[in-house]
Amino acid sequence: MSVVVTRYRGGGPQYMNASSTSPKPVVGEPSIRTHALHALAYCERLFYLEEVEELRVADAAVFAGRRLHVQLQEEGEHVELELASEALGLHGRVDAVKTREGTLVVYEHKRGRHAPGGDAPEAWPSDRLQAGAYALLVEERFPGAPVECRVRYHQTDTTVRFPLDAALRGAVVAAVARARLLRASRERPPVTQEERKCAKCSLAPVCLPEEERQVVGEERPRLFPEDDVRQVLHVATPGTRVGRAAEELVVTPPEGEGAPSRQPGRMVSALIAHGAVQVSAQALAYCVENDIGVHWFTSGGRYLGGLGGGAGNVHRRLRQFEALRQASVCLGLARRLVAAKLEGQLRFLLRASRGDSESRQVLASAVRDLRALLPKCEEAPSLEVLLGLEGAGAARYFGALPYLQGEDVDTRLRFEGRNRRPPRDRFNAVLGFLFGLVHREVEAAIRAVGLDVAFGFYHQPRGTAGPLGLDVMELFRVPLADMPLVASVNRRAWDADADFEVTSEHVWLSKAGRAKAIELYERRKRETWKNNVLGYSLSYARLVELEVRLLEKEWTGKPGLFATFRLR
Amino acid sequence: MAEPRRWYLITYDIRDPKRWRKVHALLKGYGEWLQLSVFRCSLTDRDREKLRWELSRRMDAVDTLLVIGLCGGCVERVRAINAKEDWPEEPAPFKVL
Repeated sequence: MSVVVTRYRGGGPQYMNASSTSPKPVVGEPSIRTHALHALAYCERLFYLEEVEELRVADAAVFAGRRLHVQLQEEGEHVELELASEALGLHGRVDAVKTREGTLVVYEHKRGRHAPGGDAPEAWPSDRLQAGAYALLVEERFPGAPVECRVRYHQTDTTVRFPLDAALRGAVVAAVARARLLRASRERPPVTQEERKCAKCSLAPVCLPEEERQVVGEERPRLFPEDDVRQVLHVATPGTRVGRAAEELVVTPPEGEGAPSRQPGRMVSALIAHGAVQVSAQALAYCVENDIGVHWFTSGGRYLGGLGGGAGNVHRRLRQFEALRQASVCLGLARRLVAAKLEGQLRFLLRASRGDSESRQVLASAVRDLRALLPKCEEAPSLEVLLGLEGAGAARYFGALPYLQGEDVDTRLRFEGRNRRPPRDRFNAVLGFLFGLVHREVEAAIRAVGLDVAFGFYHQPRGTAGPLGLDVMELFRVPLADMPLVASVNRRAWDADADFEVTSEHVWLSKAGRAKAIELYERRKRETWKNNVLGYSLSYARLVELEVRLLEKEWTGKPGLFATFRLR
Repeated sequence: MAEPRRWYLITYDIRDPKRWRKVHALLKGYGEWLQLSVFRCSLTDRDREKLRWELSRRMDAVDTLLVIGLCGGCVERVRAINAKEDWPEEPAPFKVL
């Protein structure tokens, strides 16, 4: 037995080592990763999301597979051989090639178990295809010798052997042709018919197959995670510095205000800087590398912007631009958005039925007016008309909001009409701050999904605020800001003196007040709630991302789910 | 694919100071350093496998690693028989600094 010890490391096929013989710079169409054929055989949509849209989500199984390969390398079992072929249109890294009695044996290591066969263990079709593709590459590189494939399944400790026969050759060639066709297409393939595959798929939270199949309306396993389990870090003390020490984020308060606090970096989902907070370049680079969003607010609570989301979202953006350039699409979405907003306000007013007969009367008339506006949204002929309806609704809603406040609420915390820039009373100060936090949440979700914040369907472009962020945000003003604020004021959680800084022109939150508002918002975000359309429960934080993904579905094959959630 | 988090105790024995520093720094990114070569991490399955993969790239065949998963009951028992500060409270989902 002799082992082929050629080893090429790093680089794609285009940048191969000059000493290698077969691979040449690819001139025409770029070749296809052999690994991608595995995805293709599993699900065409998975292939498209990974290879064309470059969405890759590594789950536990992916990391376990990587660890297997590191171990194999340590044990000397593993000789990676980078191969590419222009004729086949393929490139890839073979786990190991050995010669046994004149036959070249291509090894492919898999972490899982083999497929159930009739009498002997069998390889899964996707593994067969992948091993076959490697075999073809090896055959071209070392011509003359017969080639055999062996797939080793580590969980069951079995090896499946099969020759490179005509059927397998045909399958690989057909798969490459299919892959090329898909890659050239701008359309996302539909979700797979075989539902059980989705439960094991690492891309399920991005692909949202069960929402796509939702029409049928049966009980289904939920694939969208209920909550983001990582921590959100708000840095709210002016003069604080955020640095990096290896894998930790080190938050150093200004001198004399305590010791630095160290946060495990992998456990952080977002770093939010309020006001004069310094974030070092190293910490920023670490955050970008580890998918930690970084966001900045002014000390007054206005959202300035942030980092997050990756590159490679071209396809999603092109589809967004194409869809939102059509006035009819925009109008349709805006109608539903405004209807959803008005209905959210209506339902919030309906919830509160306490108070004396006078306030009940005011609430009832506001509810009646809001209800009368709803059907008008469906048939609004233009965005301007919708703006009018939204404004009329807001006037009724904010007019009735004071009647949701308990009788014993401090008069200084009472709401007497919406005002902003700057807020002139305490209630509006907190409300404005909370809206800023909601805005951040929505923009972060839009970036994470890969859409462009700057191109919306309802709000007109202006200043720094991205219209799409403002559009989507309309859905969440009531559940994430109005509701928790009214409730917290009613249970007298606010201190009218210590939590605010009052001048004759405006009212800001004090340091203590800001911490209170952040806590109120973050707690609210973690509350779970059962989605009335999709039928599973999830936190409000995840709901924001889900709505943005559903919005994208409006123009990628499954319209009708965006802005359909309603609070009870 | 709801991702529940579980507690893990991660202990290691590294035979080389250079590798030890790398492993130590990595683990600090995932959890708290309780005692010499003992870390406490609250991880999802994905985090755990990612950590083990990253560790396998930093460690050598002579080094050893033990990952101990703790169920809710185990954690309660750890709390019951130890001083309070030996097992601090669960990290909050957010932090205001």
